[in-house]
Amino acid sequence: MIENITGDLRVYMHFLGMLIRSQAQYKVNVAVDIGASFAITSLEFVAVLIYFGKIPSMLGWNIGEVAMLYAVMSISFGLAEMFGAGIDAFSDTIRLGEFDRILLRPVGPFTQVVGSDFRLRRLGRITQGCMTFVIALHLLPGMHWTAAKVVALAIGIGSGSILFLSVLILGATLCFWTVETTELINILTYGGRDMLSYPLTIYHQVMQRFFLFVVPLAFGSFVPTCYLLGKPLPFGLPGEMVFAAPVIALVFALCTRVIWQFGVRHYQSTGS
Amino acid sequence: MKMIQADGLSKTFRVARRRPGVLGGLRSVFDPEVRKVMAVRDLSLSVERGEIIGLVGPNGAGKSTTIKMLTGILVPSDGEMSVAGLNPLHQRRELAKHIGVVFGQRSQLWWDLPLIDSLRLLRHLYGVPQARFNANLAQLRSMLALDEFIDTPVRQLSLGQRMRGDLAAALLHDPELLYLDEPTIGLDVVAKARIREFLLKINAERGVTVLLTTHDMDDVEALCRRMLIIDHGRKLYDGSVSDIRERFGGERTLAAVLDPAQLATMPHDADGQLIVEDLPAGVHLSRSEEPRIWLGFSRDAIPAHELVAWLGARYSLRDVTFQEPEIEDVIRRIYEEGLLLQEAGIP
Repeated sequence: MIENITGDLRVYMHFLGMLIRSQAQYKVNVAVDIGASFAITSLEFVAVLIYFGKIPSMLGWNIGEVAMLYAVMSISFGLAEMFGAGIDAFSDTIRLGEFDRILLRPVGPFTQVVGSDFRLRRLGRITQGCMTFVIALHLLPGMHWTAAKVVALAIGIGSGSILFLSVLILGATLCFWTVETTELINILTYGGRDMLSYPLTIYHQVMQRFFLFVVPLAFGSFVPTCYLLGKPLPFGLPGEMVFAAPVIALVFALCTRVIWQFGVRHYQSTGS
Repeated sequence: MKMIQADGLSKTFRVARRRPGVLGGLRSVFDPEVRKVMAVRDLSLSVERGEIIGLVGPNGAGKSTTIKMLTGILVPSDGEMSVAGLNPLHQRRELAKHIGVVFGQRSQLWWDLPLIDSLRLLRHLYGVPQARFNANLAQLRSMLALDEFIDTPVRQLSLGQRMRGDLAAALLHDPELLYLDEPTIGLDVVAKARIREFLLKINAERGVTVLLTTHDMDDVEALCRRMLIIDHGRKLYDGSVSDIRERFGGERTLAAVLDPAQLATMPHDADGQLIVEDLPAGVHLSRSEEPRIWLGFSRDAIPAHELVAWLGARYSLRDVTFQEPEIEDVIRRIYEEGLLLQEAGIP
């Protein structure tokens, strides 16, 4: 078991090396792609800014605070979509019968799927996130930083990436049953990302509970941002919950893994 | 130890049928109309180390399903199996290190990478030690003449080159067993011959057991001493290639060259076609191109040597040759006329 995991990790590093090397061959191409991705995601942020031009604050969140939330979100989602690019094409892998080949190799199917792609161009969103973070700092001159807050920020981004990756995998797992419902999971991934780019508390209680307790994406963006800004969490949750985020993300990832393995077994009994 | 031992393998698929129309589609989601399809029924197979076996059957006969079960991709509905001493069901990952698989229709190479990069990546995937990899690669490079295109991206390779690359990819980790699914499909005659020669060589030199599915009976004749015919999910035949020809061969042909002087005295019909009189029962003149004649006869009607004696007694023979029926035709007849199915009692 452990042997398999370390072996898979080593194989993944080789995949990663190869994918980066092959993309780096076309430097101009990569640069243009990153630039385009940066421009598009920046426009999305500008849309949020324009919204705030009319209303100075949204349920107690001012523009700088929303920018901070948006930055955390962009970085963690950007990391997830950069590492999880291989999961995007999973419906094709199933449809074209390539999953058979994956099962014929002595490496975990999961490693091979995640290792099948890595997109440098998604650095664009991460760059946008970093710049938004700088803007947020500029808009929040009175913000007080502590060591705990720096840790909370790192934890939040890491957990957020794991959570988004898990959601992407959940979507891919659906392909074991049907390749026609990929849109369904896009609602969760992209819908989740877009909704959580705004403060969670503006939504109905049902949605708040959903993103905190069912698909705990809020632990990767909203919860850490609240801790940074000293804002209260809904349902009386203590702000220190942010330090539980890695555990929550890992538990969610493990659940995803169980469902994934269930999907693989289903594939092995139906072959489609 | 046997390389493959399978007993009573069966695989049943549940196929949900869509009802027509929007409402029907909705209904199918909640109340699917499920049909059971038996892709493989009660199939047993025993393969010794070092054998080359051809798996033959029409499309949809159950060949791929059988191979998928033997590799651990598919879980059988019933039956026991052991491959290379491992249980494909519970030891799929371990088994993967012992087998190589080539799909003629699908490459396992990375499309955008030069061939050599794909091979290097596969070394890591299979955990092949560097020294072993170097030795294997050197050998495969020369056997398959990979050097001319090893630095070319796979998408730019010809089909024949790609197949050679795929064979190298499947053999880098020293598999004991090689599954080949349509290894010569779409290749030209020269490329086919090259692949066959290579397969015979690795079988002889490395002792690799080979199980191949094919529609090309030349593959089977060139490579396999033993063949399996599968249809309707059942094993209909398991034996030598020559036996099947003898049993279902239909007509053999005797080609004889006669003395032109004697031919001139023989009767001809109104169109000027030669007539050979008083032929023994079951023998007929299938073609004549004087001074050459072709006589078709069935194995049961008359032994070949008697036919030669009969001819020799009446005509002065310059030359005699026999032509066995093409195995291709034999197999086609078996499929089309359901010859083996009748024997197995399947309508």
